[in-house]
Amino acid sequence: MPNPLPLPDAMPLRDALRGLRHAVRRGGETFLDAMPVGSLPRPAAELAEAVLREVGEIAKGVNGVASGLAKLALGSSDKPSGSLHDLTRRQNAEDGFAQCIYAALRAVLRKLNAPSAFISETAARSAYLALLPQQRLGSEASIAAALSLALVDAKVLRGATAEDAARVAGHSLEDIAVFAVMLWLQSNRSGAEDEPALDAATDLAVALASEAGTAFRTRDAPRLETLYAEFAPHV
Amino acid sequence: MSDLPPFTGSLPPTNEPLRIAVRRLRWFRAAFDAHVAAVGDRIGCTYTVDEAKLAGIFVRWLRSVERQKPSNAKDRHDYFEFAAGLMLRELTADMPLAVKSPPSKADPGSAAAFWPEGYACTIFCLTVHSAALQQEFKDKPQVSPAINDLRHWWSFKENAQMDASFSVGFLQLILGHQPNWVMPDVFRARLSEELSDS
Repeated sequence: MPNPLPLPDAMPLRDALRGLRHAVRRGGETFLDAMPVGSLPRPAAELAEAVLREVGEIAKGVNGVASGLAKLALGSSDKPSGSLHDLTRRQNAEDGFAQCIYAALRAVLRKLNAPSAFISETAARSAYLALLPQQRLGSEASIAAALSLALVDAKVLRGATAEDAARVAGHSLEDIAVFAVMLWLQSNRSGAEDEPALDAATDLAVALASEAGTAFRTRDAPRLETLYAEFAPHV
Repeated sequence: MSDLPPFTGSLPPTNEPLRIAVRRLRWFRAAFDAHVAAVGDRIGCTYTVDEAKLAGIFVRWLRSVERQKPSNAKDRHDYFEFAAGLMLRELTADMPLAVKSPPSKADPGSAAAFWPEGYACTIFCLTVHSAALQQEFKDKPQVSPAINDLRHWWSFKENAQMDASFSVGFLQLILGHQPNWVMPDVFRARLSEELSDS
């Protein structure tokens, strides 16, 4: 495996490449949805199909390059791990937090049938850095509540469509996904239980979508803190 | 009184006491799924589990257990049984199971054939209750002959569909106790009745 390039800060570049990948995937879907190939007369349909094939190949190529670069050359974090307590006590906590949020949100979005929404690792890092010193001294649940609102403020999740949000209809996909990840980060689990715990946290978040959604919408940090304290031991 | 149908082995392993593990969704779900698969195997049917419903059931069960938790340690043993009844109440109120085909290996006159979904949920609650009671109190609960009486199951199914709290009383009946049918899902009401009987 090649060594990561000696870049001063790979995170924004990683985000840019993922953003490109997201745009290509979404653009391709929209383009294909919008092309009425089936209703075109024969010579025009053949021409359109040839163009579509070409565009598809280009999109695949860009997608592959963007994914490959993001994963290999820049170093990436596909496996989420650690507890909130551990993450906040490490050196360069903001980077570890952002990488963990990225990987965990990806897994949560897959489970929520919204794998193509764009997750910004840089926004997650900004959210961590936006925490005030006194907010870092509270209980784990209160830190989680403050971070949750900061993540939403920083727009850690972008480009979610109504289709993406179908699993949490009537609620914000971003709120519920962030709630699931923060709940999971506070749960007591071994490394081997990371995945089932994340699944359980996601289902708990969906079951609590109404309460959690209201807390996010009204920016009610104490209510979020209470929900985290109530349910983190039960993930 | 007799032993429970042998499904304790279907519960997944855990390093934690069962009373803790069952209050974690990941274990609860793994236990429910494994148990339902074991019951389905035994009676010859395949169940499907609605995991989203199961998570909602778990949340409601957890909250109702916390809400009624007695402060007196001497009520702990009784509360374990009551909590199992509350679990059955939530499962029957929003049934997370569906069968793909009728049980092929169950006696046509049995509870399993009559109501396979309700049967699997009831046996799950009894199995978890039995395992937790053995772990906490070295006490192996027995089940009443009512478990094999289809009339009780018929009444259970019909009444639970109108009022899910009936399920709590049904579980107490199966465990050989006389339920308080007026308020079967109120632990204090059950205690008051036991005190007035003594």
